Amino acid sequence: MLESPSHSEDNELLRLITAGNEVAFLEFYNRHQRPVYRFALQMSGKADIAEEVTQDVFVAVMKKARYDSTRGSVSAFLYGIARNLVLRCLDREKPYLTLLDDPENEYSGQIADPAADLETALTLNQRIEFLRKAVLALPPSYREVVVLCDLHEMDYMQAADVIGCAVGTIRSRLHRARALLMEKMRACERCAV
Amino acid sequence: MNDNDWGLSNDFRALAHADQSEAPPELRDRLLIEFRRRSAHKRRLRWIPATGIAAAAAAILLFIAIPKQPTVFSDSPAQFAATPSDDLDSDFYPLPEADGLPPLENATVVRVQMPVTSLQLMGVAVNDPDSADSVQADILLGQDGLARGVRLVQ
Repeated sequence: MLESPSHSEDNELLRLITAGNEVAFLEFYNRHQRPVYRFALQMSGKADIAEEVTQDVFVAVMKKARYDSTRGSVSAFLYGIARNLVLRCLDREKPYLTLLDDPENEYSGQIADPAADLETALTLNQRIEFLRKAVLALPPSYREVVVLCDLHEMDYMQAADVIGCAVGTIRSRLHRARALLMEKMRACERCAV
Repeated sequence: MNDNDWGLSNDFRALAHADQSEAPPELRDRLLIEFRRRSAHKRRLRWIPATGIAAAAAAILLFIAIPKQPTVFSDSPAQFAATPSDDLDSDFYPLPEADGLPPLENATVVRVQMPVTSLQLMGVAVNDPDSADSVQADILLGQDGLARGVRLVQ
């Protein structure tokens, strides 16, 4: 979750940004770029998409992209823009993505193939990398709830604000997504033992 | 929460902790350049209406120059007076074209600065036509943005 400053501070910064205050923009960027970038990276698995999305989110902020303070926090507003942009990028690249086997996956170069060492149980690092890949392999509608609730520690209500759906939908998607992940992790452990 | 859920939660926590990546510094620089570009553009846009209004006001002042008789002179080069009314500086002087316009509902007053020499064109007498002084005037704009009257401030 965004290490969010107070709501009113964010609102004040947005007001100053609209008035052309560069210092306010930098402050706002420094506060929010990390979670936005991570969210995009965790959703897409690609650094170039994460960078493009982060850039577009903050350009939208420069344009004062219709932020309505009565409809949620600034954080939810930013995540919402990032989510739409990521989904658009994923749609654009859909024909080229085969997530678990994607050689261009940002994380693929960082880990050894766990199946290569069948004698060794999974180390923590291997589990993390498997989990990362398993998350990326989820359908986007499941992936986003896992990223928001489990990796960014949002509660159901906040995630529902970002995605624009009912809390019950978040709950059921998360339940299903975790079940899928558990299956994959178990299969992966069986493979490693 | 069963053991499996517990294990998954721990893995999520570890994954979240491992993901400490952030946007590259070049992105910040690029955004800053874009922000400056947009701010400069906005500032330019802000000037366009003001310049337009000033130009329109100047045109109006030139246009209404004709019918009035210059009469009163003062000793001071910066002072002037005009007919038909001595309280010209407090009332708006109706423009000839304003008669054909819809009734005034919402008025906006725009203050402009103009050279004293231009006052001659309005039918106002000035005793030093070569004066470099300027004078303030208020233009009364209607809800349609069209001028209805003019008032000399000084």
